[in-house]
Amino acid sequence: MMMLKTYYCFFLFICLLLGSCSSNKLSTYRKSRALMDTFVTVTVVADSQEAADKAIEWAFEVIGKYGNLINFFSDTSELSAINRSAGIHEVRVSPETLDTIDRAVFVSEKSGGAFDPTIGPEIKLWDFIKKVKPSDLEIRSNLPLVNYKNIVIDKGKSTVFLKKKNMLLDLGGIAKGYAADLAVQALKQKGIASGLVAIAGDIKAFGLKPDNKPWVVGIKNPRQKSSDDEIIAKVSLSDKAISTSGDYERYFIMDGQRFHHLLVPATGQPANSCQSVSVIADKGVMTDGFDNAIFILGPEKGLELAREMGLDAMIIDAEGTIHTTPGLQGKLIIERNH
Amino acid sequence: MKETIRNTTLADRLLFLFLVSLSVAGIFLARDALSQGSDVIIEVDGKPAYTLPLNVSRLLSVDGPYGPTVVEIEGGKVRVKETHCRNQICVREGWVSRGVIVCLPNKLVIMVGGGNKRQEQGIDAITG
Repeated sequence: MMMLKTYYCFFLFICLLLGSCSSNKLSTYRKSRALMDTFVTVTVVADSQEAADKAIEWAFEVIGKYGNLINFFSDTSELSAINRSAGIHEVRVSPETLDTIDRAVFVSEKSGGAFDPTIGPEIKLWDFIKKVKPSDLEIRSNLPLVNYKNIVIDKGKSTVFLKKKNMLLDLGGIAKGYAADLAVQALKQKGIASGLVAIAGDIKAFGLKPDNKPWVVGIKNPRQKSSDDEIIAKVSLSDKAISTSGDYERYFIMDGQRFHHLLVPATGQPANSCQSVSVIADKGVMTDGFDNAIFILGPEKGLELAREMGLDAMIIDAEGTIHTTPGLQGKLIIERNH
Repeated sequence: MKETIRNTTLADRLLFLFLVSLSVAGIFLARDALSQGSDVIIEVDGKPAYTLPLNVSRLLSVDGPYGPTVVEIEGGKVRVKETHCRNQICVREGWVSRGVIVCLPNKLVIMVGGGNKRQEQGIDAITG
């Protein structure tokens, strides 16, 4: 009889244990969508597919709406209205557009112009798909149009004005990080306590995974040998954003030389001292802006800027050597060297 | 054998039942946790449209705003063979055995084995 009671208690204990584990169990849910002219993946930790879907769809909606405001190629975007009105009149914009431009100017100032959102007139000269390299004369003639100091922001009136006609504001170097911040905010509004938003390579993680571990982000090898994603390093993140800029994203090789989209605002030519730069900070808008700036500045000045701004950075220089800020020591796992 | 069964108590039988249930549950749990094998998942406008095995050669035409896009699977790899959008970025991607091919104008996303590889590496997302 005693034995029976023991067995019964043991059985009951196991049932209760399993029962307690299965109710309200948190799981990871993931969905992807083509938004902002790129591939967006939102991952959330939730207790049901329904709750996850609701939150993810809301995040997609927020990203989509923001993307429409700052779309460089759409005639109906606020950004296009600013560009069309360059040198003519100011344009009233939404708080999101104003804030993005304000932060872009902040990154420009802090980086001494290494990042410049008015790089548009230079970028449009290149076609990285058709391998079109503009002449030096064309590049030089557009340089006077590139200067972030000619952006006039009136926060009181919520307006933006580009001082010179034909100036072109291009927020491609900062907007995806800003969108990741907005999406995380949207997920939190829907009661999600943990998740990860990846807008192409601009990623923001918050909270912990169901196993109480931080999110792990792989950093792409800038010289991978196949189309498959090859990872050069891994980093654990929680309540942090990470962005990477690389010379392998939009590029072509001509006469043995690599021409890519990360142009030096002062010269209009591609920067050539880095292969890739990854930046980690609290906000996606900062990681997205500063990874460009550090890439342009190169390893030495770039690390100096990262330290000054309190950012963590991993820089792979033109020779493939990896440089990191002291803050990344112990957090970064280098997968392979090359 | 019959003698052994006859000698079992109710508790023994309950325990046996519990262990059998646990084993059956284990099969389902393991199926969820382990890799499902390599499939090609094609999404159109954010919605799953096709799931195809990666080990069966096939040509598939997927309709989009810019007309049909021809997806080819062969030798454990997938590629966009033909599409009618302007930039042809997805075609230039070439053959992919793990990862994602995106054709933005056609709102087409082709995912292959990427999730499994990431899981193996313990990676939740990739930057770069």
